[in-house]
Amino acid sequence: MSQSLRLEGIDFSYDAQRILAGIDLTIPAGQFVSLLGASGSGKSTLLRLVAGLKAPQRGRLAWNGKPIAGPGLDRGVVFQDYALFPWMSVVDNIAIAIGKARPETGKAERRAEAVDYLRKVGLDAAIDKYPFELSGGMRQRAAIARALALGSPLLLMDEPFGALDPVNRARLQDLLLEIWEAASPKKTIVFVTHDVDEALYLGDRVVILGSTPGRVIADLPVEFPRHRDRRSLFDSSAFHELRESIAETLAADTLKQLVAA
Amino acid sequence: MTAESIALETRELGVTPTPHAASQPSAGIGRRLAAIVEASLVWVILLAGWFAAAEYFPLGDNPLIPHPLVTARALWESLPELWTGTLSSFSILIPGFVLATLLGIVSGISVGTSPRLQRALFPFARVAAPVPPTVYIPYAIAVLPTFKLSAIFVVFIGAFWPIFQNAAAGAHALEERYRDNARILGLSGFEYHWRVVFPAALPHIFSGMAVGLGFSFILLTVAELFGANAGLGRFVQYYADFADYPKMVAGILYTGLVTFLAMTGLEAIKRRALFWQR
Repeated sequence: MSQSLRLEGIDFSYDAQRILAGIDLTIPAGQFVSLLGASGSGKSTLLRLVAGLKAPQRGRLAWNGKPIAGPGLDRGVVFQDYALFPWMSVVDNIAIAIGKARPETGKAERRAEAVDYLRKVGLDAAIDKYPFELSGGMRQRAAIARALALGSPLLLMDEPFGALDPVNRARLQDLLLEIWEAASPKKTIVFVTHDVDEALYLGDRVVILGSTPGRVIADLPVEFPRHRDRRSLFDSSAFHELRESIAETLAADTLKQLVAA
Repeated sequence: MTAESIALETRELGVTPTPHAASQPSAGIGRRLAAIVEASLVWVILLAGWFAAAEYFPLGDNPLIPHPLVTARALWESLPELWTGTLSSFSILIPGFVLATLLGIVSGISVGTSPRLQRALFPFARVAAPVPPTVYIPYAIAVLPTFKLSAIFVVFIGAFWPIFQNAAAGAHALEERYRDNARILGLSGFEYHWRVVFPAALPHIFSGMAVGLGFSFILLTVAELFGANAGLGRFVQYYADFADYPKMVAGILYTGLVTFLAMTGLEAIKRRALFWQR
């Protein structure tokens, strides 16, 4: 079977607090999955498990048929706070990723490739700048460029645009879709967010995680044709119906938590 | 291109925030002048007090508080000797401090990233580090072949512990997101320590170096009292034996200036090295 992400019976607890319970999920190659959930639903934790930064207490994680045993270049991560090394220039941050992904390349070649990726994400003007000189949106673009430079077929994104203003968020969403659609074969993307509109605009599929402990409480296909246009999407009734049902699911989950607390 | 998109374009250009300049240049100069006056106040008062004490409480032929002008002349006359002393003191300071920096950073970072090494070495450090290195001085002089070596040894011990402990703390405190990032990139071993842990720990390391440098000066001047034939500490001790207070005070002022310049130099290096900090 071609590359796919399989999660079976994932249980994860931290300090006697159960964070994830019985997560079963299969994501085929090239799919863009939006992972939605209220805060505390364990969606970031789930992403870290898939990235191999933490191990579940029970269950199986497999990517491309191989069990996930630790972090690796085949699973790139874009964190919410970009995690660029502040003591390196933007191009060096990318070049070091290229050097690990393709160690046979020389220094000049790595720099040239890094510049290329930076151009792709619209950072021509920031190539030799340092993270402290950039705005939040630019740093996040650089983080995306770094994940692309790794060449990972699976991209894990943890609320990457959460800290940005609405205008920059929209621009980066479009940039991400542009890059994703242009690649062949398409990368598999798991995109964590708490923004329903973002989830529906970007994804082929929305998986909703309930909270405490995190469980898959909904798994819906998003069938709007690609090259989506925000205006017409927000005008369509199908979009609103989907949005309503998701909002209801999330609200019901929140109420459940309030009652339980 | 519509006006709206042009506005958005300019918004995208990242800017390092710059402080608002004073609206009028005169206001800025006035403010700076006021700051200089405020900072100089303590010096002016002390100098005035010194002149007053020397004028109105002369206390005989060889006063304990020499007149500022007498001291100034003593300082001028002693400059060659003080310069030789500076070179001699620095020939102890530099080897000791540099060695302490190198070993302190390397060992601190190794221990800071390894829980096993921490368990093995931190308890020992907790006992050994607080021992004042001054108590090692007589023993070091007895054991080591030359005075210089024993002084360098004592300076090394004094500077090593603060640098080691700060480097270890800096390595231990490496932010999780950088560690995660490094793991995903597959950085490990020397490359990881050199390209990630060391730069991240630099702010802590510089703090340790500043403390270590201060200790170094204290220790080398004390060591010189014991057995040097040149040096800044030796200068003050020698003229104390002759009760030559003008020269003593001149020596103290000169040594103060040298230490100030050294610390300022370290601060300048730190600012250059940590330019990437917000």
